Amino acid sequence: MRVESGRTARGEVAHDVDVVVVGTGAGGSVVLRECARAGLSVLGLEEGGYHTWQDFSQREEQMFPKLFQEGGGRLTQDRAVRVLQGRGVGGSTVHNTNLCKRTPDPILELWATKYGVSGARPADLEKSFASIERDLSVSRIPDDAVNANNEALRRGAQALGWQSGVLMHNRVGCQRSGFCELGCAYDAKQNALKVLLPQAEAAGARIHADVRVTKITTRDGRATGVLGDVLGERGEIVARYAVRAKVVVLAASAVGSAELVLASGLPDPHGQAGKKLRMHPGAVVAGLFEREIVGHRGIPQSVECTEHLSLEEGSPKRTWIIPAFAHPIGTAATLPGFGKDHMRAMRNYRKLAVLTAMLHDETAGEVAPRSEGGSPKIRYELIEADRAGLARGLVACARILFAAGAKEVTIPAVPPVRLTSARELDALDTAFVRPHGVPLSAVHPMGTLRMGDDPRVSVVSSTGEHHQVKGLFVADGSLFPTSLGGPPQISIYAFALHLSPHIVARAR
Amino acid sequence: MQPGRRKLAKLAAGALVGAGAVAAALRTTGYTVPSGVPLVWLSPWQYLVVAAVARRIVDPDAPDAPSPDSVDVAGFVDRYVAAMPSGLRDDVGGLLGVVEHVAPLRAGYARRFTNLGPSAQDAALVWLERAGGLFAGAFDGLRALVFMGYYRDPRTWPQLGYEGPTLPSGAERAP
Repeated sequence: MRVESGRTARGEVAHDVDVVVVGTGAGGSVVLRECARAGLSVLGLEEGGYHTWQDFSQREEQMFPKLFQEGGGRLTQDRAVRVLQGRGVGGSTVHNTNLCKRTPDPILELWATKYGVSGARPADLEKSFASIERDLSVSRIPDDAVNANNEALRRGAQALGWQSGVLMHNRVGCQRSGFCELGCAYDAKQNALKVLLPQAEAAGARIHADVRVTKITTRDGRATGVLGDVLGERGEIVARYAVRAKVVVLAASAVGSAELVLASGLPDPHGQAGKKLRMHPGAVVAGLFEREIVGHRGIPQSVECTEHLSLEEGSPKRTWIIPAFAHPIGTAATLPGFGKDHMRAMRNYRKLAVLTAMLHDETAGEVAPRSEGGSPKIRYELIEADRAGLARGLVACARILFAAGAKEVTIPAVPPVRLTSARELDALDTAFVRPHGVPLSAVHPMGTLRMGDDPRVSVVSSTGEHHQVKGLFVADGSLFPTSLGGPPQISIYAFALHLSPHIVARAR
Repeated sequence: MQPGRRKLAKLAAGALVGAGAVAAALRTTGYTVPSGVPLVWLSPWQYLVVAAVARRIVDPDAPDAPSPDSVDVAGFVDRYVAAMPSGLRDDVGGLLGVVEHVAPLRAGYARRFTNLGPSAQDAALVWLERAGGLFAGAFDGLRALVFMGYYRDPRTWPQLGYEGPTLPSGAERAP
């Protein structure tokens, strides 16, 4: 695949195309392909660099700066939640763990009945889901690929009589090395980078890396293009960049796309843009076993527990439980404390199983544009119902680990909660689940440019087009009116495919 | 978030950088970095604070583990932070000022962090870790940077039983 870096340019760079797509992850890759196949001239812009399987070194300290925004150091304004977001051609599909779940039917029905989304009920999306699943070779993870960390989750959940199951994924030729979150060095991920962007490029799409879009241009209520900067090795601006286009498509994530809309000063009469950010924040629980687990080898996430997940709004059951093992740097950052106690825990690296409780959150966060030289401003403060739900989820993780045979369970709170039996959980005070009381990470920003037919409560229509600016579309997780309660990649791919005919029609 | 709380959050966001800067301004001279250490972004006093913090964050008494100095944690943090956006770099700089001048005072010691003994340094770090708010969040970030600087080094892997990458260098690979 041919991807040009903007870095070869100096001074002013200008392009004139039918469609410009900001972001090359799940949503952007689909739109690029569909527009190119429709015969439109289309250009994809990516803030990060272009890295392929040959660049994926399986070294955390080398890959974090390449594959994650701010080297993995992006935080909410209060520094309470780490927001891990993809950067680079292929976006978050390069580092994600390949979990494939369709948008649950109850969620799609909720969006239709409560949030005014039309034409996106389960039957309306069936073809898009099926098409994307074919493109990405989605299949059930084989039973013999369930590693001991995942097996601990399954065994513990079964012992408790809780609902669990093996997940679907989009890998072909997986070597089970366990380095998925650092990019697949074996090129086994069937993702935007491997599948969809090459298809887009073969159909005539162009992709430029190292270009940060800073403004959407408009005239008389229509999008006319974008302005941006070409970034050098250290993020310095090496050239200015301009694209004139009939249609602008935002696919830069619920943080990046919303920031761009807000920074561009687009009309927003009802103050909806950037609001109602959902992120699926989660925290981990670690179990120490007598025998070796070796959680860093094999497919990292293959089993889920949905016992504590209801898709009904307002339900107290709002956590999705999955494994969350990491390599040494990630594990060290996850385990609590420092000094002697921390190193003792690290020496048990091979005997640890780690689970995460991920919130199907109802907290309404907010994105605001960055200050000069800064990062996007992300405000997110857990509402009480989410805090309580997360506390229940963490206790559930601990019960699963004990039921699976853990001799000690640690919740990395400040100070750490160390337990030696499930009975201790009955009286556990979960007041530690508060900002800075337990480390939170979020990997699924959603909802900041919500779709819906009522402009008073949404930003774009059910076709993905901005209510106020014609020719401006959104094709990423920003669209979702609520959180999903599961991995978002298939939803993003499928919605981008579902909305692409409207984008193509507008560009013609 | 209500407007009043948003304003407070904004004020708090600036507080870390502000507190660190004020604290650091109290004393940033008299720090001598060992010769031959090429600093990219950290100043000499910041480098020495990172090195001192790393010696406490990583177990200093583990006889079979390489020391943070021997794997050049502070040098790695310097290079890593240099590539971050300027806002994040400012955060790190501010935090180091807080570690050096504020945390010891709050832990009951009227000396700079780099001049304290090991147990006093630990007490200062515990105060920071449990301070809540921005201090706690920033400490968590500093801790993560130190661990990245330490556990990136293959010499630290045998104690974990971690085998490292499954591949040789990229040039020798085929899909």
